[in-house]
Amino acid sequence: MVSEMIGKLTSACWDKCITGTPGSKFSSSESTCLANCAQRYMDMSLIIMKRLQQ
Amino acid sequence: MDPFSSSSPTGSSPNFSPEDLMDQLKTQLAQAYAEEFLETVRGKCFDKCITKPGNSLSGSEGSCISRCVERYIEATGIVGRALFNQPR
Repeated sequence: MVSEMIGKLTSACWDKCITGTPGSKFSSSESTCLANCAQRYMDMSLIIMKRLQQ
Repeated sequence: MDPFSSSSPTGSSPNFSPEDLMDQLKTQLAQAYAEEFLETVRGKCFDKCITKPGNSLSGSEGSCISRCVERYIEATGIVGRALFNQPR
């Protein structure tokens, strides 16, 4: 389920990227980190699947 | 007529179509995700904003919580769009 993945990923990426107290908007480094986090997770997922298929 | 059947002309018990069951399932799933989301936001914002619980919620704790909820919703959007390679 897509919404389950988004939920889990947002939770994990929040912990990795939002280190301080939440502000009234994200800094550009925070929002970049969140987007990067999601995309690196997908990259990792692909590597894992390829590895397991060998 | 027994108490468990509806009053249909044939007097037979109600038939739940696959579509009805699917709709019920989708509704329940949506509710489950909403509850899980709520629980996650509660946990994250409690960790970030209530660092030293006092005998009441301070103004700064209250505004922190508001910001936290807004930011978490925003984060969900950023992550969702990034998963489908949408520009930010």
